[in-house]
Amino acid sequence: MAVKVSQAERMMNLLALLVDRAKPLTLRQVRQELGKQYPDSDEAARAAFERDKAALREMGIPIETKTLGGDAAGEVTYWVNRSNYELSDLRLTEEERTALQLAVATVHLGAQHGEEALWKLGGERILRKASMSVNIGLVDQNMSMITDAVMKRRTLNFEYKGEQRQVDPYGMLSRSGFWYIIGFDHLRRDQRVFRVDRIEGEVIAGEARAFKTPENFDVAGAVPTEKQMLAAGDGEVTTAVVLVDAALAAGVRREFGESSVIKDRDDGSVEFSIPCANLDAFRLWLFAMVESAEVLEPQTVREQIVQWLEELSAGK
Amino acid sequence: MATKKKAKSTRKPVKTRPVKTRPAKKRTAKKSAAKTTSRPARRGPRSAAQRVSVLLVMLPWIMQRQRVKISTMARQFNLTEAELIEDLQMAAVCGVPPYTPDALIDVYMDNGMVIAEVPLVFSRPLKLSTAELFAVSVMAQTAMQLPGANKKGPLASALTKLAPLMPSGAETIKVQLPKARYVKELLTASSSGERQEIEYFSPATQKRTMRTITARKVFEDAGRWYVAADDHLSGEDRVFRVDRIEQLSGTEIFDQLREVRDDELPWFSESLQQVTLRVQKSARWIVESYPYVSRVDNADGSVDLTMSVTSSHWLGRLLLRAGKGVKVLKPAQYKNLATETARSVLSRYSASNSASNSTSNSAS
Repeated sequence: MAVKVSQAERMMNLLALLVDRAKPLTLRQVRQELGKQYPDSDEAARAAFERDKAALREMGIPIETKTLGGDAAGEVTYWVNRSNYELSDLRLTEEERTALQLAVATVHLGAQHGEEALWKLGGERILRKASMSVNIGLVDQNMSMITDAVMKRRTLNFEYKGEQRQVDPYGMLSRSGFWYIIGFDHLRRDQRVFRVDRIEGEVIAGEARAFKTPENFDVAGAVPTEKQMLAAGDGEVTTAVVLVDAALAAGVRREFGESSVIKDRDDGSVEFSIPCANLDAFRLWLFAMVESAEVLEPQTVREQIVQWLEELSAGK
Repeated sequence: MATKKKAKSTRKPVKTRPVKTRPAKKRTAKKSAAKTTSRPARRGPRSAAQRVSVLLVMLPWIMQRQRVKISTMARQFNLTEAELIEDLQMAAVCGVPPYTPDALIDVYMDNGMVIAEVPLVFSRPLKLSTAELFAVSVMAQTAMQLPGANKKGPLASALTKLAPLMPSGAETIKVQLPKARYVKELLTASSSGERQEIEYFSPATQKRTMRTITARKVFEDAGRWYVAADDHLSGEDRVFRVDRIEQLSGTEIFDQLREVRDDELPWFSESLQQVTLRVQKSARWIVESYPYVSRVDNADGSVDLTMSVTSSHWLGRLLLRAGKGVKVLKPAQYKNLATETARSVLSRYSASNSASNSTSNSAS
């Protein structure tokens, strides 16, 4: 009869054994050494051992294998080299560790990886609440696959806007609450931007080091700002004159810059020149101000806005 | 946040912040968990792999410290004390055959303390995983952008030491924080307790109000800066959008410092109304951009979304932007809100049309 030990305990003992022994061990030897911690039947023991091995590898412990030849042909030996999984001493100072702890306490990812890294670096999770916090959400189901692919330069496959895409992810950007992937889109044969939360279904990643990121690649510059989005369209009219009431004018001025100001009116309202080549994006931007903004010119754009409003107010 | 009731039109009284459902949910979870343990509730028993991976992190950690209070350690690792003791007791019998003392994990618990001596095999921490390296890199570069960060300080030098571990792709992962005036000032105020006088703009009421606040916590969420504060105008705890603070100055009145936990943030001071919207594909950005309470995907590709709404002004704006891509299913009071909002914007255009007509008439 196998002795009753928990799988967790058996895994700990297996790891200790594979690290401790000078020579690689076969499964038969492992079972002998661990004295009946594995089930008696060969088949069940093999299955349990495979489970343990997979779980340990998942934790970042590389279990090496070698298939023997000669008399023992076909038998596999296993061993673990400590230096392959142990963190080398980074010689962090107390000050540096504290700074990392503060960063982890302040920046929230919605995942525990930061805390885990801290523990491994000998630090501690700060349990007291910081007076400042930043949320950089990593909550998307595909996030770990994507970040791993970007870090290790793996090609990604996913569905986006109803099409199957194959993308070499050059980089990632977090801006305004969204994560973007910037990469080479094999379908379009060009560089494209993808929003992570718009990816449909699962993401599949290929081999590491599958591509090179172009030199001088600029992550932030690759994702258009709202201002650039309004201008990125094929509409005939490229700019519109928009009158914004005093209450909201300061915000628009900050967003589009002083160069967009056409005229400051006496009542505090301001006429701005705003890109509108992408009319859909322009309308979304304009209507965020509801009745506090109005298109003055050109007449064609004004008419389109009025027509949209008339249709909506007619309840069509 | 503005509470002044809007005098004009048929609109309901308004508050300005879009909905956050998360804090309310968290609060209930915490409360129920607090009865039995000090950590957030977690479902189901832990797997063997979970227990081993935590142990492999905990053993080197305790090895460095040698003596730690059980309660402190349990909190640190998000375990109950019972779970921690169970894991450590298991670790105490692990080792290498023939299980001589030097090969066993020597751990015992005494008087509320954990005391441990760990054999070589378990004494060094595991390498950082790619996910952990990513997290550290993102957190550190974000922290480096915060007001008051020292670009040549210990965080920067820690990152330099970590750099050799980073895969090459880490260089092209960037976080951009929103820029807002007064973040630094509010942060200073939250640690000094000095009341600030602010001029605050509410787009819902189209009004600026002067108010004094005591800032408690400054935070960024989904691309915006907020400050949680005691609002002395309303006498309530409020969350303000920092980009809507037009002016700010210190008052030289100091309040006692107080901590605000994330799950205590006063996003709302009243209960919220829920609406159900049918969202077509063309307005899918609504599903992506706002928190919702529940979601039903229909066969035709549309989505029925139930969300909490802080004000009819906010909802009206959403409906206006989405146009025909969205319809209010319930409650009935909002069924005509899209047409009403469109009409009120339209009236601005007709007013200026007639104004310019009369100008040209008088000129001719």
